Amino acid sequence: MTKILVVDIEKCSGCRICEVACSWFHEEEFNPAKARLSIVSWKKAAISYPMICEQCEKAPCKEVCPTDAIYKDEESGAWKVDEVKCIGCKFCIQVCPLGAISFFEEKRGAIKCDLCDGDPQCVKFCPMDAIEFVEEDKVGLKKKRISAEKLFATMQEIPK
Amino acid sequence: MQSAKLAMKNEKVTKMVKLTINNKKMEVEEGTTLLEAAQKLGIEIPTLCHHSALKPYGACRVCLVEVIKGSKVGLVASCTYPAEEGLVAKTDTKRVKRARRLSIELLLARCPTSEKVRELALKLGVKKTRFKEEKEECILCGLCVRVCEEMIGKSAISFINRGADREVTTPFKIESSECIGCGACAYLCPTEVIKIEDVIKYRKLDFWNTKLELKKCKVCGRYFIPTVELKYLKEKIKSFEEIELPEEVLEVCPKCRRRILSDKMKEFIGG
Repeated sequence: MTKILVVDIEKCSGCRICEVACSWFHEEEFNPAKARLSIVSWKKAAISYPMICEQCEKAPCKEVCPTDAIYKDEESGAWKVDEVKCIGCKFCIQVCPLGAISFFEEKRGAIKCDLCDGDPQCVKFCPMDAIEFVEEDKVGLKKKRISAEKLFATMQEIPK
Repeated sequence: MQSAKLAMKNEKVTKMVKLTINNKKMEVEEGTTLLEAAQKLGIEIPTLCHHSALKPYGACRVCLVEVIKGSKVGLVASCTYPAEEGLVAKTDTKRVKRARRLSIELLLARCPTSEKVRELALKLGVKKTRFKEEKEECILCGLCVRVCEEMIGKSAISFINRGADREVTTPFKIESSECIGCGACAYLCPTEVIKIEDVIKYRKLDFWNTKLELKKCKVCGRYFIPTVELKYLKEKIKSFEEIELPEEVLEVCPKCRRRILSDKMKEFIGG
């Protein structure tokens, strides 16, 4: 069973440690600008949310790639970029609805989340446990529980 | 019947040939080039005009290897030479090294300022060129021409003239009507002579005498994609078989896409 990254928005504090851990693991540099995920903060609402590649089942980036450089890694279930095949056309960046693919000046092709080969650093270093790495079938179960809790809270509000 | 046909088809695909490279015996699929076969063995062969996503071309001649067929010994470009049954090849003989050195020396004379050419020359043991130095910056590897034609499907640029006058440019050396400004040519160029610059409203590709208008992001107003590339990608996403991607997504810059989506998440939890 492949695992995916799940974000709990209520837990994220916007500390950006995940970005730093990500850039260190992949680029050996403490540079949030080179991270493969990015925190979007809504300061007035005091809310932050890490935008991560969702590893779409049917991925537009894979579909648009003219050289088939984006392939599914069977072990981790992540879409990966084959640096050797990438021609730098940036079509994948333009079609990703999440804006989750980036590109650096140094020649290394398109850059995207590869789930760190099954050991995501963002999950490891998140001090709030806001990002979790869970098996695909358990995500539904967790979401069911959350919506049930919400429903329960609304039911409480109804005057008897 | 059908299974028999399938089996035949499979047989065709996986026909293997045996060959020897540097006294190492190996088996590869028919149609594999000598370069790919050598790479599988971990043998390093220098290249300048090769890209694994593109068809082999054989322009730079630095990937030369020796092929021995009976009593005949010849030099061939390994990137274009297909593996054959019983072939014997050598990649590190004196003759190969000398031939490679000459190729890179000639390229170095043509483009003395190119970093990649100089680096490779040093690696192959050429410190200075004996030939008259020119001020060219393009080594005519054809990567840009090939990627535009084969992968982007546009053919905005091509070779013109022959021999010493050969160069790469747009038709009639004027602004290209086909170029979409994706930048694949600039990314692949080994000498980095193709430069792309976004100046406020325009994407400038000076090497191709081309200037493309950029489109504004609907949300932040930053110019981010050439209008022609937007049109090209819109048509491309229409042809996706199983994915339905709304066209509006393309009109928002990737940075704003993140913001819009996270805004939706925020509303979801009632922030």
